[in-house]
Amino acid sequence: MSSHLFRLALRATKVPQRTISSSSVCKANIVLDQALRDEIHPKIGNREIVGYGSNGLATYIDSCEFPCPAIRFKEPTAEVIKLQEKEKGDWKNLSLADKKELYRISFCQTYSEMHAPTGEWKVIVAAVLLTLSATGWLWMYVKQFVYSPPVSTITVEWQNKTLQRMLDQNQGAISGVASKWDYTKQRWKE
Amino acid sequence: MSTWSQINLMDPSSYIMSQMNLFHDHAMILLVGIFVFVILMGVSLLKNKFHGRLVHEAQTLEIVWTIVPALLLVWLALPSLRLLYLMDEHPQSSNTLKAIGHQWYWSYELPAKDNMMLDSYMLPEESLESGQYRLLEVDNRPAVPYSFDTMIITTSSDVIHAWTLPSLGIKMDAVPGRLNSMNINPFVPGIFYGQCSEICGANHSYMPIVVEAISMEDFTNL
Repeated sequence: MSSHLFRLALRATKVPQRTISSSSVCKANIVLDQALRDEIHPKIGNREIVGYGSNGLATYIDSCEFPCPAIRFKEPTAEVIKLQEKEKGDWKNLSLADKKELYRISFCQTYSEMHAPTGEWKVIVAAVLLTLSATGWLWMYVKQFVYSPPVSTITVEWQNKTLQRMLDQNQGAISGVASKWDYTKQRWKE
Repeated sequence: MSTWSQINLMDPSSYIMSQMNLFHDHAMILLVGIFVFVILMGVSLLKNKFHGRLVHEAQTLEIVWTIVPALLLVWLALPSLRLLYLMDEHPQSSNTLKAIGHQWYWSYELPAKDNMMLDSYMLPEESLESGQYRLLEVDNRPAVPYSFDTMIITTSSDVIHAWTLPSLGIKMDAVPGRLNSMNINPFVPGIFYGQCSEICGANHSYMPIVVEAISMEDFTNL
């Protein structure tokens, strides 16, 4: 179902498109034709469609960018209908529990619950550490059993001779090794 | 040549290479500036708690972020073109060195020395004397005079190779059936090392280039 169809259906029922906002729609009845009702309601149950939502689809989404979802969260059971009738009267008659329940009828989570930390970072850290340890084991195996022995030029004696050869050839005379060697005193510059 | 843990460019041994080092510094100024700017923008975006779902039509911003990168590119292009044309100068040089690439060695011809020809094979590890550089030493190396223009002509007898001497700022493809030429002018005597820079088969990593720059007197007496 596309949002285009939804808007088309709403237009067909004489709800002006420009007033599809959460507050104005609450004052109007959203009446869909039978075909759209047969398509939408098996997916959302008996829940009331109250607005456009984030993209015109009749889905429930908790999002701080789109505060008012397209449908209520709970289905209109007898208790729900009774509480909504009570809501139409003076709000001073509503207890704190009633107000909280009315919120939960329309919405799934509060903003604090939406933004609460999930602790997912611990799972991610654990997975990364496991991967690193697997890599470590693999590296140790490869180093022990797969690699050939190191070349003869890697020894300290050879490297010292190589360094001497670089100095003899005056390699790096500007900023390299030869620039740090004092050729008159035959030692490293201080 | 490079030393252990070297990450910078090599010390230049020719004026062209020192100009390339300066251009590299110039380009790095631009890159570091852009990098820092991007990091700052990223941090600012991450720390920003506002949502902007309906941002439309930021014309001034669009103009600025089109014109400024264009100017930065001009700032990069002008020295780049200058260096490109500087490298392309071919003074009349009376000394030539021909480098012919083979699989997997180089052969050189020196017309100034009665067309002396020599093959330059890498010294294998077991043939190295103590202290010699692995994968860089060769059995025969050509000589060129320093403080003198030498034209290098490269070609290949089989597949494409590339003749490279980083400290002289030269890298030329040796293409079969084609002669590429470039000038070098080392301003110090010394031995310069490089490696083949175009994949040419199994032993591509084992055909180094070594050139020795000697005085004109020594070169004449060769």
